[in-house]
Amino acid sequence: MPREIALGDALVPGLLVLFVLALLLLWALDWVAGRFGLYRLVWHPPLFRLAVFVCVFGACALFLL
Amino acid sequence: MSASDLSMASPFNRQAVVETLREEASVWLFVVKTLVAFFLTGWIAMRFALPAPSTAMLTTIIVANRQSGMVLAKSFYRAIGTLAGAAAAITIVASFPQQRDLFLLALSLWIGLCAGGATLYRNFKSYAFVLGGYTAAIVAVPVIDNPPGVFDSSWARISEVLLGLAVSGVVNDVIFPSRMRDVLRRAAREQFSHFVAFVRDSTRGNVARETMENAHLRFVRAAVTFEDLRSSVIFEDAEARARSGHLRLFNQRFMAASTSFQSLHHLINRLKRAHRDLAADTLVRLYAPVGTALDAPIEAGAVARVLLPRLVAAREMMRKQTPSLRDSLTDAQDVRDFDTGASLLARFADELHAYVDAAASLQTPRVIAASGERVRFDRGNDFLGAGIATLRATLTMLGLGTFWIYSAWPLGSSAMLLATVFAGLFATIPNPTRVTWMVMLGYLSGMAAGFVCEFFVLTQVDGYPLLVIGIAPFLAVGLVMMMSPRLASYGLGWAMGLAYILALKNVQVYDPAHFINDAIAQVVGLGAAAVSFVVIPPAIGSAWLRRRQLVRLRGQVALAAEAPLPGLRHRFESVNHDLVSQVVAQTEPGSADSRALVAWALAVHETGRALIELRHDMARADLPLTLRPYLTDALHTLARFYEKPAPAGYLLARDAVATAIASVGEHEDARHLLDHLHLVRMALLDGESVLAAYMPDAPLAKEIIHAS
Repeated sequence: MPREIALGDALVPGLLVLFVLALLLLWALDWVAGRFGLYRLVWHPPLFRLAVFVCVFGACALFLL
Repeated sequence: MSASDLSMASPFNRQAVVETLREEASVWLFVVKTLVAFFLTGWIAMRFALPAPSTAMLTTIIVANRQSGMVLAKSFYRAIGTLAGAAAAITIVASFPQQRDLFLLALSLWIGLCAGGATLYRNFKSYAFVLGGYTAAIVAVPVIDNPPGVFDSSWARISEVLLGLAVSGVVNDVIFPSRMRDVLRRAAREQFSHFVAFVRDSTRGNVARETMENAHLRFVRAAVTFEDLRSSVIFEDAEARARSGHLRLFNQRFMAASTSFQSLHHLINRLKRAHRDLAADTLVRLYAPVGTALDAPIEAGAVARVLLPRLVAAREMMRKQTPSLRDSLTDAQDVRDFDTGASLLARFADELHAYVDAAASLQTPRVIAASGERVRFDRGNDFLGAGIATLRATLTMLGLGTFWIYSAWPLGSSAMLLATVFAGLFATIPNPTRVTWMVMLGYLSGMAAGFVCEFFVLTQVDGYPLLVIGIAPFLAVGLVMMMSPRLASYGLGWAMGLAYILALKNVQVYDPAHFINDAIAQVVGLGAAAVSFVVIPPAIGSAWLRRRQLVRLRGQVALAAEAPLPGLRHRFESVNHDLVSQVVAQTEPGSADSRALVAWALAVHETGRALIELRHDMARADLPLTLRPYLTDALHTLARFYEKPAPAGYLLARDAVATAIASVGEHEDARHLLDHLHLVRMALLDGESVLAAYMPDAPLAKEIIHAS
């Protein structure tokens, strides 16, 4: 995947698009975790959520390489 | 002073000191968190070489709040608003790349529409509208000389805002978060225990009208606050989001139960006033099991579940007692009043059970699968008020834009941007003129501080850490002021003015002349926003809007009488509560306006609910054809009377209800409708209610009950 993504022939920073995608993915994971009470098994849910986001975003960003 | 006095005084003092320290600590925690978010955002933005790091930094100030959930909720809507605004900007610029007049007109219209839309909502959704408006201006205005640049401009803006939001979201969520979930939980628990305690304590049947009105106001406020809290907490806590439907259901059932409860008490009060003590006392006796069922300690965690079987037992007992108590009455009037009260009581017991059931399912640790019943909290909106806000924002923009074109003012865009931002931001608050002036004063002082900071401090320092140290003290002053209730808007202006005028970027430009010119332009923009609020006064909080809201509230009876039935109960309750709470927020407690409102609200609530129940019963059973015209006639005349209260309409409504009662009385199989009709009739004849002003003459005490 290139560094810049063409949306209708306009170049958009790829990182920004990935960031939004990663947010959506995180939101879905968050919904699942909330629905099944998985956050009860975690010491600090916001930190955990942040860590999951970093994983998701980092994994997505690998596409840019 | 003796030694014993000292020992008495010291624990009190220590407590006071601890309280003060705790309060101070939370203020300073807020300051530190905001500073961390501010400078972290700036650093990242500079590392990414974004064109305007100051926008990202300003974002962190705008969303700053003590509660983590508020930050996340505001961030969410800010992101949506920014995306919509950027899209609008691209469309507008693409449509009129070479027509500055049409461009300004389209932009002004868009901003006006967004400002109008914002007044329709009372939580952060309104903020998304405001942002959609001024983001379009922020994106489009700087590229007015270079239309192809709009795309880059919008991406830059989106990146900066999203970066600011992400950083402040993470900082607020991770570093010592202060959770709104706890506030919501406390609110739910208090709502529950207050209501249960109130019901239990009024089992004796003696509740003065004033106590009832106050309780009603309290319940209305509780319901609306709860809904507002819920809409913010779902952003903070994944579990709360999973339970969101349950929370709504809980709130709806609360509203339904409290309405039935006060109808019941008005009925008992009316009977007492008419000296029909026998009927009143029999009703109170019938209602006693509910009181004993609720008489359990409320503090324990799983209390709602404990109450459920007791309530079921109480309902059984009431059902068994009803025939024997009914037989103990001899007078036909008494029997009829007792029947009315008993059916009301049965309705209340069912609703109370449903409410306690919802509370119990909220208290279970596991999330139960979402309930099948989808409920919404409908709002009572005034579209004319929104139209005024639209007009004002559009005119402000057009005025400034014309001035900009004709004066060829180099910094006109700056003035225009600021005017957009503030005309939008403050259109939704009750007293925008005063707040805008306060913010403007704060903004001026913030810019003065910014001047000192930029030309006497920043010129001396080198590198990001020193920049942080140089700016932090100036910014902290504003942030501390934001936390004090009196100086909040002043502090907000200060922080925004400082962050805006510093315009931090990778290669900082030190140009005092440009700085001062920009400052003047921004003050002109702010002043234009303030003037626009004076010229076209805001609808919110005005007597005109209050009158309209009152009309709308009375119109709720027409809604109850004529709107389609499915979902009507929830719609009626939530719009009522929203309207009442709007007016309550805008009137002084105890003023004539406020009393008139509460009086009308009680009448509307009672009659509306009775009409809805009547229509549900009408729909369930197939009525004799001869009966239906009388009933629909009663419904329509009542609706007309509440829409336009007048003595003539009052007489028509009273007679129509009497006719309906008489005709229903002739049909043996339609008896169950009588209870609702009697309730409506008694509400109409209540000499202490707000309707008394329309009665031909004050009815005799006996006549209140001898309705037909």
